[in-house]
Amino acid sequence: MKNYWMMLVLLCCSITAALAQEKNVSGTVTDQNGLPLPGVSITIVGTNTGTQTDFDGNYSIMAAMGQTLRFSYIGQKTVEQAVGASSTINVQMEEDAQALEEVIVTGQGSGIARRKLSTTVDVLDAEEIDKLPANQIDQLLQSTTPSAQIRLSSGQPGTAAIIRTRGPISAASSATPVVIIDGVRVDNLNSNPQLGIGTGGANVSALADIPVESIEKIEYIKGGAATTLYGADAANGVIQIITKKGKEGRSSAYFETNVGVIKGTRDFLKYERTAEALFEPGLSQEFKVGLNGGNEKFTYNFAGNLYTDDSFNDINEQIRRSFSFGLTAKVTDRLQYQGSLSFVNFQSNLDYNANTSLSRFSNLEGSARGDTAEFTDAEWEDELAYYQNVGDLVDITSTTNRVTASNKFIYDINDNLQVNATIGIDNRNTVQEELLNNELQIAFGLIAPGITDQGSLSRVLRSAFTLTTDINLTHKADLDNFSFVSILGGQFFRTSDRQNRLDGSGGVDGTRSLNNFSEQAFSDFVLENANYGLYFLENIGIYDVAFLEFGGRLDRNTASGSNTDPLLLPKIGLTYNLSDHDFYRDAGISNILSTVKLRANYGEATNFAQPFEQDRTFAQNPFLGGPSFTFDNPGNDELVSERVKTTEFGLELGFFSNRLFLSGTRYMGITEDALFTPQSAPSTGQLNQIQNIGEVENKGYEFELRATPIQTNKHTLSVNLSYNTNENLVTDSGGAPPFVVGGFAVLGSVVEEGQSLGYLRGTVAILQEDGTYSFEPNTALGDTFAPNFGSVGLNYTWGDFNFFATADYQFGGQITDLSFLLRHNRGTDDTGIPEELIGTTSPFNYTNFFVFDNDFLKVRNIGASYNFGDIAKPLFSNIRLGLTATNPFNWTAGNFDPETTGAGIGTQNGFASGGFAYGTESAPRTYVASLRFEF
Amino acid sequence: MKKLIIFSLSILAISCTGDFGEVVDFKEIENPNLSEASVVGQPNSASIWLSGLERQLAIVFNETLVLSELGSDNYVNTQTFFNQFMDELEIKITDPDMRDTQRQIQRLRELAVFGLDKVGPGDPNYDAATEAEFNYFEGLSYLFSAMYFSALPAEPTGVPITANQHYQNAIASFDTAIALNPQPEYHLAKARAHYYLGNKNQAVAAATNALTLSANFDRFVLFDAANGPSNTFESALYQRATFDDLQPLPTLDFLDPKYSFLNTSQDAPVHYLKAEEAHLILAEANLADNNIEAAKDNLIKLLDLIGTREVRTIDDSIEQRTEVVEGSRPDSTIVVVNGREGLVLNRQSGPIDIPSVSGTSLTANDVAAMQDDDAGLVLLYRTRQEVFIAEGLRFVDMGVKLVIDENEILLNENINEGDSGTIAVIPPFIASVTGDLDAIVYVPGSEVATTVIDLNEILVANKSSNFVVPFE
Repeated sequence: MKNYWMMLVLLCCSITAALAQEKNVSGTVTDQNGLPLPGVSITIVGTNTGTQTDFDGNYSIMAAMGQTLRFSYIGQKTVEQAVGASSTINVQMEEDAQALEEVIVTGQGSGIARRKLSTTVDVLDAEEIDKLPANQIDQLLQSTTPSAQIRLSSGQPGTAAIIRTRGPISAASSATPVVIIDGVRVDNLNSNPQLGIGTGGANVSALADIPVESIEKIEYIKGGAATTLYGADAANGVIQIITKKGKEGRSSAYFETNVGVIKGTRDFLKYERTAEALFEPGLSQEFKVGLNGGNEKFTYNFAGNLYTDDSFNDINEQIRRSFSFGLTAKVTDRLQYQGSLSFVNFQSNLDYNANTSLSRFSNLEGSARGDTAEFTDAEWEDELAYYQNVGDLVDITSTTNRVTASNKFIYDINDNLQVNATIGIDNRNTVQEELLNNELQIAFGLIAPGITDQGSLSRVLRSAFTLTTDINLTHKADLDNFSFVSILGGQFFRTSDRQNRLDGSGGVDGTRSLNNFSEQAFSDFVLENANYGLYFLENIGIYDVAFLEFGGRLDRNTASGSNTDPLLLPKIGLTYNLSDHDFYRDAGISNILSTVKLRANYGEATNFAQPFEQDRTFAQNPFLGGPSFTFDNPGNDELVSERVKTTEFGLELGFFSNRLFLSGTRYMGITEDALFTPQSAPSTGQLNQIQNIGEVENKGYEFELRATPIQTNKHTLSVNLSYNTNENLVTDSGGAPPFVVGGFAVLGSVVEEGQSLGYLRGTVAILQEDGTYSFEPNTALGDTFAPNFGSVGLNYTWGDFNFFATADYQFGGQITDLSFLLRHNRGTDDTGIPEELIGTTSPFNYTNFFVFDNDFLKVRNIGASYNFGDIAKPLFSNIRLGLTATNPFNWTAGNFDPETTGAGIGTQNGFASGGFAYGTESAPRTYVASLRFEF
Repeated sequence: MKKLIIFSLSILAISCTGDFGEVVDFKEIENPNLSEASVVGQPNSASIWLSGLERQLAIVFNETLVLSELGSDNYVNTQTFFNQFMDELEIKITDPDMRDTQRQIQRLRELAVFGLDKVGPGDPNYDAATEAEFNYFEGLSYLFSAMYFSALPAEPTGVPITANQHYQNAIASFDTAIALNPQPEYHLAKARAHYYLGNKNQAVAAATNALTLSANFDRFVLFDAANGPSNTFESALYQRATFDDLQPLPTLDFLDPKYSFLNTSQDAPVHYLKAEEAHLILAEANLADNNIEAAKDNLIKLLDLIGTREVRTIDDSIEQRTEVVEGSRPDSTIVVVNGREGLVLNRQSGPIDIPSVSGTSLTANDVAAMQDDDAGLVLLYRTRQEVFIAEGLRFVDMGVKLVIDENEILLNENINEGDSGTIAVIPPFIASVTGDLDAIVYVPGSEVATTVIDLNEILVANKSSNFVVPFE
């Protein structure tokens, strides 16, 4: 008992002593140039206590003498300072060359420093993402990645963008890259599902509900050697999303609210009255919250988001609800666990578009009901009432719930050997509905007034599930002059896509239950695929300046024919950082030309065909209440993935400490065994069969310039500019006749030997010497893929103020103005058409008059933000005000928008040439104000 | 302790059995679709295969009707996504409708042949009636090949054979079907093949046989409105959306739309082999033989038969003539077309009556007044046009033939561009009036409309040509 009291007294004394010694330590943290560093994490070693520097690099913390403060910041060497007698500790941090090396998650394994890579990867970091108002992955990447072409095919909510980088490599798939979140593949269906509700075009894309909050960074990997290890279907590239898992140090939180106005763009309208009938400025509202923090053992991040807008027109709406969290736990000294989970709920509705006579926009712009400019006011009033009535009744909805979860286990066997294991799932469920009730059909003039029992309701249920597992071993070894990174791993993923479509007809109005329809029909569609691969990679560093990388993947998937073997996909690369030699660094020239990097690589990546297309099958269709057999897929037991072989050479030059940075890459990609689905001979009576018969070549250059012309204590101005070229050619069609992959057969996007993939072909009228016209069928009208494209960006920071702008452009391609063709067909628009042709033959005999350049320059984002700092201290550590405008300015070669290829991607994951501008609204203009409170 | 060890070991042993393998085997993928083994060699597969042939025939009509009706003077495409070229008889190897039409006709053949070779023999319940139907469908594929194409392969990437040879092959197939299970439509199909071959006696014999078996038979193809294929020509004629605007020649207005909304499970059928055709063949043969009284008798029987056929009362108020410029075509009962009254209906003043099998403006008085002259033959051809409207026969009567598709030309080593089947057949007397086939003179709101040409007169004027009027 006596001892007990003694201890208590001692304890009190020590606490008192501790309290007595604790004091307020403050100071400023600067970088090696003396500029203040905001956001530096300061922790007291051995405790959970911590803080961060403010926007002027200042901090204050209660600490006791003898304790040690640890200052850590990304890209800087960690500094530890013991608390002494002084209450001020100013710290100047030093750049950590090793840490500054950006680490790229190269396929699999634990990541490799960018300087060791022979391939290029476009990276978008959290700061850049935060500035952008978009909450759709394709919109985030548009104009912010130097070498991706991202074309928004409609302004309606959730609709798909056509994404490509190094030209069209495949006639068998949309060019949509594989999307991987924290190592887990997610559904990236960028087209309407097979059984999806046909709106005539403009379909809701899976890209619309990929979780975008809490992104630490996005890596856009462009195919070729960079994606070899991803195997399977990575030839189109990979978008890798790494989410925030929290940071050690002081906990932080934020609350953000955004309000915006959405306006339909009139830049491309033929008729002002189209806008009058359909456009109606909408309001967007968004609330975001986030939490972040942790200690040495455990870090966490949470984000939640609620978004709604009522779009730029009279009927579209969207609602998005999402949350995500990520965490890192040090289970033992050697075992680390990283987990992330996100949930997205996305609801939207669509109008009819493009290829349906119910489309209001294409009817107005195509003058299906007459030239609205010629209507009298009274006629227009009636017409307006018609469109508004129809708009009120159109009922096409889509609701998606998506859950994505990733678990990663990192085990350090020793300092050099690490095991990474990942297991995760993505589960995306979508329900689409189209209610075409009697009232709407009467309004459209489809059925006679008075009919009450011909309503129809269609419902499509799609469930997409992906399981990804990966385990790999990374070994790192450093000898005197050589370093080795060796990765050996295995990856497995399985996707299943189950669709059920229910169609009810013969219904009265007032119900959304299929039970109430007199005729009920259903159909289903299943795609399943298992893919498994072994991969290895060796990266050998030579004197830490040159790096030789080689590896490969042995890949097998169940979409191959029975008579095929696993594919071996090799890669090899060489990188030489001339400027990393000591002699170079010591030489005077390094002050001017600070970085010289040469790189070359070769790699193969694949795309597989749609599952089950290898099998010969029969169909049993319901017909008049009974079964009926017919031939289905002819089958191809030799079917394998198409293989893209890419060779790249690159040079990177940095001047004046990389204030001016130039990168140039020459790439050559050859798609061998290209998957073509040509027409079968009609005399066989069989359906068309996908076959490995083609060869496609893509060649081009990628140039990127990044410059920071102003960098002072207060001001920073940086600009970036990219220019890319692509030369595309179908070098071999395996003897198959040209086949149409988009548009009409008489004016189509065609695959033909000696032409670019999906080029425009049609009958052209050629003026003869005698003044008559001859008609040449199957004449090339141009390439649908603009062979020149790039992006431009500007970023200016003045203290707490930031201004940025992004734009992108393309030129050299062609596109059909289908609305014009329709107007002409209806006799309301003969602009530029020779008199001799009008009315004498079908417009499909002079398609050359409807094809135009698809050149454009579009400013996508202009934004500004201001950090008020801690004006509302102690409530908020910072308040940020942001203003952004999206799509404010457009310049195009024609009078129409070459991006709005409303018909989008026709078949599930099918090829999209984007060669037909038609029938849907352009991406709207939005003006968003945001206010962010940080705690 | 020992028990515990044994217990633990047995748990371990059970957990190592293969049964758990399924839990972690994610590689197994099963194609949910039917393999050949699920079709061939199964009981009742032949009758299901036969339903498949019926369904395929519906698909064939969805292709042939649009082309042949637009290509004839029956209909004009004022504003649709249906074929843009046939109105002007621009028949091209690049036209995808050429491709689809011949593909579906030849798919019908391939399905029929597979039924005869594989499915039927493998089915223990295969019977003569089913086998007869398989032969009948094979025969129909040849019949359509001959009606619409001057030459077409008769097997996958085979040598193209002429229309005449296809008619012969069709007759052989129909004969096999008749031998197995005689049906009036088999005889009529045979009669049609002989008719177009100009084999008058055989045509008469077959037509007579058909009528002997049944005086009012009617073989039709049904369409599945809920599961498809729905009747494409019905959407072209009746359903009204912005792009669906096929307009009939005003002389045929009272027969349009032959196909209209039936119910949500079935679309209106196409009556493609009906007893009327036998009467018309007999009448034409009698006219050719200068037997006017017999011909009149045939036509009276025809009128009697037509009198028994269904007439549907429909609300067609959503149809305007036309949609692009409302009322620009005759749309009132007051309009007299080519001097004849009662051919145009007013669709806005309540329900209208439209024959859904056969209709005609021919009257008993017309028949009584009929002479054994060209005017009589014109009347007969006018009646053929009316009775067969929207059934794809008018185009064949015009002697026009479609072409082999460019894909077939490229993939079939037996065909080269420029070969006979790759060039459209358009009789010169049709070629000279192509632009006028659908042309009318009509001032909106007036009471008189005139067709620029009377194609029946042109056909009869050229009756000695090998292209048309086969019995002359």
